[in-house]
Amino acid sequence: MTGLLPVADNTQVRRYVVDLFRRYPRALGGAVTLHIAAAIAGLVGPRLLGELVESLQHGGGAAVIDRLGLLIAGFVLLQSVLTRFAHLASARLGEGVLARLREEFVERVLALPLSTVERAGSGDLLTRTTRDVDALSRCVRLAVPETMIALITIVLVIGALAVVTPLLALPLLVAVPIIVCGTRWYLRRAPKAYLEQNSRYSAVTDGLAETVDGARTVDALRRRRERVERTDHDLHRTWLAERYTLFLRTVWFPVVEVGYVLPVVATLLVGGLLYLGGTVTLGQLTAAVVYVQLLIDPVDRLLSWLDELQVGMASLARLLGVAEGRSDNPEPAAEVPTPVGARIEVRGVRFAYAPGREVLHGIDLTLEPGERLAVVGPSGAGKSTLGRLLAGVYQPTAGTITVGGVPLGDLPLDRLRTEVALVSQEHHVFIGTVWDNVAMVRPGADEAEVCSALAAVHALDWALALPDGLATTVGSGGHQLSAAQAQQIALARLVLADPHTLVLDEATSLIDPRAARDLERSLAAVLRGRTVVAIAHRLFSAHDADRVAVVEDGRITELGSHDELVAANGPYASLWRSWHGERTPQDTDEPLADTDAAGARR
Amino acid sequence: MRKLPDADPGDPDDRSATHYLGWLVRRYRVTVFAAIAMAVLWMLCQAFVPAVIGRAIDASTRHDRHDLLTWCLVLFVVGAAQAYTGVSRHRFAVVNFLSAMFVTVQVTVRQAARLGSALPRRLDTGEVVAIGTADIRAIGGALDITARGTGSLVAVVMVTVILLTTSVPLGLVVVLGVPVLMAVVGLLIKPLHHRQQDSREQQGLLTGRAADLVGGLRVLRGVGGEAMMAERYRVESQSLRAAGVRTARVESLLEAAQVLLPGVFLVLVTWLGAHFALAGQITVGQLVSFYAYAAFLVAPLRQLTEALDKLTRGHVASRRVVTMLNAETDLPDPQSPVPPAHLAGDLADPESGVVVRPGEITAIVSAQPAEAALIADRLGRYAEGGTVGGRPLGDFAVATVRGRILVADNDAHLFSGQLRSDLDPYGSGLLPAALHTAAATDIVEALPDGLDSEVAERGRSFSGGQQQRLRLARALVADPDTLILVEPTSAVDAHTEARIAERLITARAGRTTVLCTSSPLVLDRTDRVCFVEDGRIVATGSHHGLLDTEPRYARTVLREDQP
Repeated sequence: MTGLLPVADNTQVRRYVVDLFRRYPRALGGAVTLHIAAAIAGLVGPRLLGELVESLQHGGGAAVIDRLGLLIAGFVLLQSVLTRFAHLASARLGEGVLARLREEFVERVLALPLSTVERAGSGDLLTRTTRDVDALSRCVRLAVPETMIALITIVLVIGALAVVTPLLALPLLVAVPIIVCGTRWYLRRAPKAYLEQNSRYSAVTDGLAETVDGARTVDALRRRRERVERTDHDLHRTWLAERYTLFLRTVWFPVVEVGYVLPVVATLLVGGLLYLGGTVTLGQLTAAVVYVQLLIDPVDRLLSWLDELQVGMASLARLLGVAEGRSDNPEPAAEVPTPVGARIEVRGVRFAYAPGREVLHGIDLTLEPGERLAVVGPSGAGKSTLGRLLAGVYQPTAGTITVGGVPLGDLPLDRLRTEVALVSQEHHVFIGTVWDNVAMVRPGADEAEVCSALAAVHALDWALALPDGLATTVGSGGHQLSAAQAQQIALARLVLADPHTLVLDEATSLIDPRAARDLERSLAAVLRGRTVVAIAHRLFSAHDADRVAVVEDGRITELGSHDELVAANGPYASLWRSWHGERTPQDTDEPLADTDAAGARR
Repeated sequence: MRKLPDADPGDPDDRSATHYLGWLVRRYRVTVFAAIAMAVLWMLCQAFVPAVIGRAIDASTRHDRHDLLTWCLVLFVVGAAQAYTGVSRHRFAVVNFLSAMFVTVQVTVRQAARLGSALPRRLDTGEVVAIGTADIRAIGGALDITARGTGSLVAVVMVTVILLTTSVPLGLVVVLGVPVLMAVVGLLIKPLHHRQQDSREQQGLLTGRAADLVGGLRVLRGVGGEAMMAERYRVESQSLRAAGVRTARVESLLEAAQVLLPGVFLVLVTWLGAHFALAGQITVGQLVSFYAYAAFLVAPLRQLTEALDKLTRGHVASRRVVTMLNAETDLPDPQSPVPPAHLAGDLADPESGVVVRPGEITAIVSAQPAEAALIADRLGRYAEGGTVGGRPLGDFAVATVRGRILVADNDAHLFSGQLRSDLDPYGSGLLPAALHTAAATDIVEALPDGLDSEVAERGRSFSGGQQQRLRLARALVADPDTLILVEPTSAVDAHTEARIAERLITARAGRTTVLCTSSPLVLDRTDRVCFVEDGRIVATGSHHGLLDTEPRYARTVLREDQP
């Protein structure tokens, strides 16, 4: 895949995490305190158990056993109650943090410049939105609290060991260099490796989706073998990534396992020798060995969750990376200048997607309010790019585009939308109610406004007839709308958004030729009274326009009304004639063509 | 170590989900059994540790320095063995996990490719795609857990034997008590699972909404609506948060139960054992080991529960895979297909009356483009009804028809990867000419790496018109005997359309070509036009002839939808 979205670096991720938890100081403090209390209650049990065994050895009676038994049971009860509240507190914190994280991410996605999305492809963004958000949820719900509990337990056990016999805490130190070096080695390589692995899985999923969605194409072009090979290739690359992370774990796992057993051996050996020398008692030795073993579980949990934390961090890095792509909607100046009038002026505009690859070489154009301009020309000549510049999606590399005297780039996005809207070929119906799908462009619109927008595009009748009227859920998983209905919804949005200028990119594609004539009426209703730039590939829309701009090779080569251009006998004129079935201007089909043209002019 | 993926995934046993899982186990038996063996050894090492530590402490109490050193050494060896068997088990288990996962992707893709155009009619495409994300992991997980599951089972049996041989009554308390305990915890888990399920569903919906926003991002960037969409998302996200906290409420009770129940049980065992020891029925050392083993049992039993859970999930996922594998095409090959040599003569669609003569360039015009597309489907054997030389196309193998007749429509996908490998996978040498004919040379020239550039998924980095021209070039490279193009120029500008029409007619001169279009720029250059209304042919003739004689035709081709 080309131009994947960026990924945030470690520093950014760390800063973000710290900030995140700083926002919840009390919840964090409460959860930690409860976990500490629960862990202490848990440590009392084994100690009392030792006392019970000792009392047996020293001939304690049944009464002592019963009393100690009850006491241990009491602490178990206390520990379970504390665990309950500790768990609840950290879950509350986690859910809060998680909700905030995903909401911020979606806000970032919604602020992403179109250019970035187009470059990266929606597959990568989709993976981040789905898989990474899910992975992060798992991490915050499980890995974070488990890590916290493990850390607390480790600190408390080491404390207990130091209290019982500080001398026997020293053998623990043999494990430190082994575990620390091994883990550092691992962690230094793991995040990158897991990121790589994730993206390899994306490729596999994308490839499969392509094969399934394009099954007919695979069939028609007999690409069965290619699809199979492509999948196997993607899987092989995934395997290489998996094999590398497996190698990392193959080194790391045994190292830390040895790191677990060494302190037990060392404590036994040193403690045993000290006991033989009379420095420590048998009780101290036994307690030390028990505590050292008690450490293994939390340390292991901590390390194993580090793995999951890495995955979560990797996902977080990918989520935060999405923010890096934003550039072409810079925060506007503090005081927003107000456009005066609706005239759009384009002066000396040049544009390049990448340095040195200029696609527009100096465009000058003035759009008078209410004017209809058709932009025609061969594909790849820069028509769509010009449309995007007019809609403020891209900023020109040189020259200026102003609306009412204010550069488009200086307008905040929501303000810009009331001036110019770009209508692309897509007509996505969002998951939500019909109401939401229309009112989204103007939150706070009242019922009359939404209804009249729907009525304007002749969609109100069928919309009200839906099972729940305007409250019917449509979009993926909801009530299925026909293509024509989806298009009408898209048009109703425009009526409500009410920009004075519309840029229709390949607008004829918006109107499916299979759909009925009332769709044309819907579109006509939308266009009424607005400045329209129609980037057309069909001549009839050009014929209907006030002026026609012929764009060739990044320049406007012809500009004038249809009749003027036909009279000028340039490239536009020859095309117009050939459209009407004339091989040459001398041909004799003229009457029929003219009759029809007159009809089309309406 | 195994090299993945397998060159040939083989023929999966798709009789049932169980058969499928069994097939996977059989297929990867070497690593599956290796993983099991390592898991058993690993468990044994773990079970050894307490005993060895006991011996070392005993040696200290006897002031036996030599034995102390020996047992410390043994402990280290057992620890090292545990590390070795542990990582080996992990390696084998990962290989099993990946093998099962990869082979499932492979058979899924192969089946999707086999079903071809029948797939969307036979299966829910969304579900097939979902196999590639969630289901493969569940199936891999099922294979992965076989090792730890078996290891745990062995450990449980072993500990049971040890305990029963030491003291039957106390042994029975432990052996019966621990499973009862697990069962009680299991019962508590039930309501939790429901809540978790609800939470997950809500999470799924929220993810779906986010994915929906990504899908509609272009629309949002064009006309706005981000604020409202963000708000809708926020509301759902907050309700998921509330659901998460509600789940945590139950979950935290379970956590508490998991502390309380085993804790109380351990106290019970110790207290009973202490009384037994007081009565002299067992020794103090045995009491300590009872305690240790009762505590030890919890882990393998938990893994057994996990194993059950993962096997169930794997089974559910396999069911989906099996359903997919069992789907049959609705365009089957006949019992005894007619040899390819007989695929000759007029290609016809009796239902509409359209006849395509060999070597001619025929146009099909309809006021309803969908009608023309249906006819193209029948002529290309995407639906039953077409004939060739008077013989039903259904008498030929699908592969034979696909090899001779290519229907190229606008729903066709550009595939991601290198542009060259999509347009001309076999290096036919026809590509430059095809690009020229499709007026697509400039698209390729504008790309940073030309034909070696990467195409984004579905070719989205190209405009609609560019995609259409590239698709046309791809169809021309395939160079079929009969080429049926459905609306090949609907998304390009008139300049380019005129150019393509001119070049296409030259390139396909003398070869059977069908164009479903209503563009006069193209029709003008065809040999013969079939004008269709309401699914039936109403007039045939040259473009100019029909323009003169058939007013409905003139209306259809000269009228254009427009703003």
